[in-house]
Amino acid sequence: MTAHIEIKDVVKRFGAATVIDHLSLSIDPNEFMVFLGPSGCGKSTLLRMIAGLESVDEGTISINGARIDNLPPGKRDIAMVFQSYALYPHMTVADNMAFGLRNIGVAADIISARVAEAGRMLEIGHLLERKPGQLSGGQRQRVAIGRAIVKEPKAFLFDEPLSNLDAALRVRTRVELAQLRHRVKSTMIFVTHDQIEAMTLADRIVVMNNRKIEQIGTPMEIYSRPATRFVATFVGSPTMNFVPVRVAGGETGGATVILGDGTHVKTAIPTMKLKAGNFTLGIRAEAVRVAIDGQGVTSGTVDVLERLGDRTLIYTKLKDGSVVVAEDIGYSRVAVNDTVSLSIDGSRVHLFDASDRAWHCEEGLDG
Amino acid sequence: MSNARSTSIMGRESGDRVVLLLVIALALVMVAPVLWVIGLSLKHNAELMANTNSVFYPPYTITNYINILGTSSVFRWILNSLIVSGGLTIFTLVLASLAGYGFARLNFPGRDILFIIVLLGLAVPEQAVLIARHQIFGMLKLHNSYQGLILPGLSAPFGVFLMTQYFRAIPKELDEAALLDNASRFTIFWKVLLPLTVPAQATLGIFTFLWSWNDYLWPLISGTKKEMFTLTVGMASTQTNFAQSEGLGFLMAQAVFAGAPILILYLFFQKYIVTAVSGAAVR
Ligand SMILES: Nc1ncnc2c1ncn2[C@@H]1O[C@H](COP(=O)(O)OP(=O)(O)O)[C@@H](O)[C@H]1O
Ligand SMILES: [Mg+2]
Repeated sequence: MTAHIEIKDVVKRFGAATVIDHLSLSIDPNEFMVFLGPSGCGKSTLLRMIAGLESVDEGTISINGARIDNLPPGKRDIAMVFQSYALYPHMTVADNMAFGLRNIGVAADIISARVAEAGRMLEIGHLLERKPGQLSGGQRQRVAIGRAIVKEPKAFLFDEPLSNLDAALRVRTRVELAQLRHRVKSTMIFVTHDQIEAMTLADRIVVMNNRKIEQIGTPMEIYSRPATRFVATFVGSPTMNFVPVRVAGGETGGATVILGDGTHVKTAIPTMKLKAGNFTLGIRAEAVRVAIDGQGVTSGTVDVLERLGDRTLIYTKLKDGSVVVAEDIGYSRVAVNDTVSLSIDGSRVHLFDASDRAWHCEEGLDG
Repeated sequence: MSNARSTSIMGRESGDRVVLLLVIALALVMVAPVLWVIGLSLKHNAELMANTNSVFYPPYTITNYINILGTSSVFRWILNSLIVSGGLTIFTLVLASLAGYGFARLNFPGRDILFIIVLLGLAVPEQAVLIARHQIFGMLKLHNSYQGLILPGLSAPFGVFLMTQYFRAIPKELDEAALLDNASRFTIFWKVLLPLTVPAQATLGIFTFLWSWNDYLWPLISGTKKEMFTLTVGMASTQTNFAQSEGLGFLMAQAVFAGAPILILYLFFQKYIVTAVSGAAVR
């Protein structure tokens, strides 16, 4: 069973504060959808409205065409994995998983078959008679997922399920979740503030900020064509460089932008769509390279080096004072206080106007 | 090297021994009066009138205990005490749990004010309402009945407070997980939350039972008929005017007899009582 979830014009208020403001969203059957955004932006609230744990003040939520926003949580055919796992401390692992099925009167032999199956799938079969207090964090996490799986719901909701795990376990569980979603055919909604989790797990990402949706798209769309400056800032590591520029205008094809130090950069962003004037240029570090033999378009002084092994991040200051992070090879010979020549890949830059709307490059234009 | 280690172990051992000696000394101080009472209870009244030091040597006797059991009503009084203390304990647990759940989990108008009013009950001493209560119970013809003995104890603000705090400390996400698990409100209360409050129930139950078993004032003035005496009141009623001097052995036997059920209760629930008392201190 799987769910097509349709959220229409939903509003949520806590007292005088509007937490979700006229939000609409459609989630396809079997889709792995990630809600990504900073803490406090309303991700959990939206998820809990889908689950039925928060009321909906305006708008509707439907699953497969039927309205569910007025149904009690148990009647929505949805399972949720909580950040704190919320296992029943006094029940064994098996009872934790069986509880929901017993409440709807599923036959005992079916329950034990499903619990055993989930135990096998999640490799917690040997823990079934333990209580949650006797389990490690990672094991509890699996039990929480198992409790969701045995219900065979139309949709799974995850609220930051990895955030209580240590770094190594988080990465492993992330991979396992990615495998799990192919075995469990169901719609999944996953809430996180971690862009790497979002990028690695999602079919599509909903980037949320400040009560509303900034952008909906596949991970690569979000990464390479961020709709707003917020999305560009939030996704990607290191954070995208932002440099104030002027667009000369009066050209055809790709626009030429002029940096604060007078450097001209030819981009692949169509000129026609731009008004001449002041913009912010967005460039990821990977599009700014240390050029050999002074072949670059501009140069900067090295402030800090970050060696990541496979590559080196170089924090430079341009002549006008703007800070740009560039990328170099792992064995970079650059040293702090060096002056380095920088090349900028004009086919991988973005422009943001005063209202933070974004313009992107188009293929076929020279950068 | 091995020397240093052995001295440190020695140091720890002798430290442990000092602590052990202190604990034994303290325990002796605590247990001495109890042994004294038990000793006195095993002596003839007449012998004690002459000299209480006779407790240290024979003859010993169980006459005093036989005399207690010979009191025609003593088993009735034990039964009364069990019914009153047991009933009070059970009803207090039920009421305090329900009220605690309500205050912690339900949203109803006036909840916070109501909770404060309940807490104010903690500040009202029994003596302040004793006369009014006696008259009301008189009008309602509740004196000399089990209801009359149990009802006053059911206004248990401490129990409500304790259970409310306990329910509040349980994460709401458990309720929510259970809601998604199709549990009804009652199922959530009964199968998810209540089992988690067992330590609090044990604490409250034990303290309520002990308090009720030892209670003297209200049973004394409400139960005026001999067959409605609780054990404490009944025991006191059998004492003669000069019990302190003439019937010391008998008096002590009564004390032992009335305290025995508490001792048994303690042996059964030792673990809970210790955690209850220490938990209250730590938190
Ligand atoms: N029960 C509540 N009462 C009042 N405000 C709340 C409640 N739940 C959440 N909020 C507020 O709503 C906003 C969004 O919260 P939440 O959905 O938990 O954010 P996120 O999960 O994205 O971190 C926050 O500002 C939070 O303070
Ligand atoms: Mg959240």
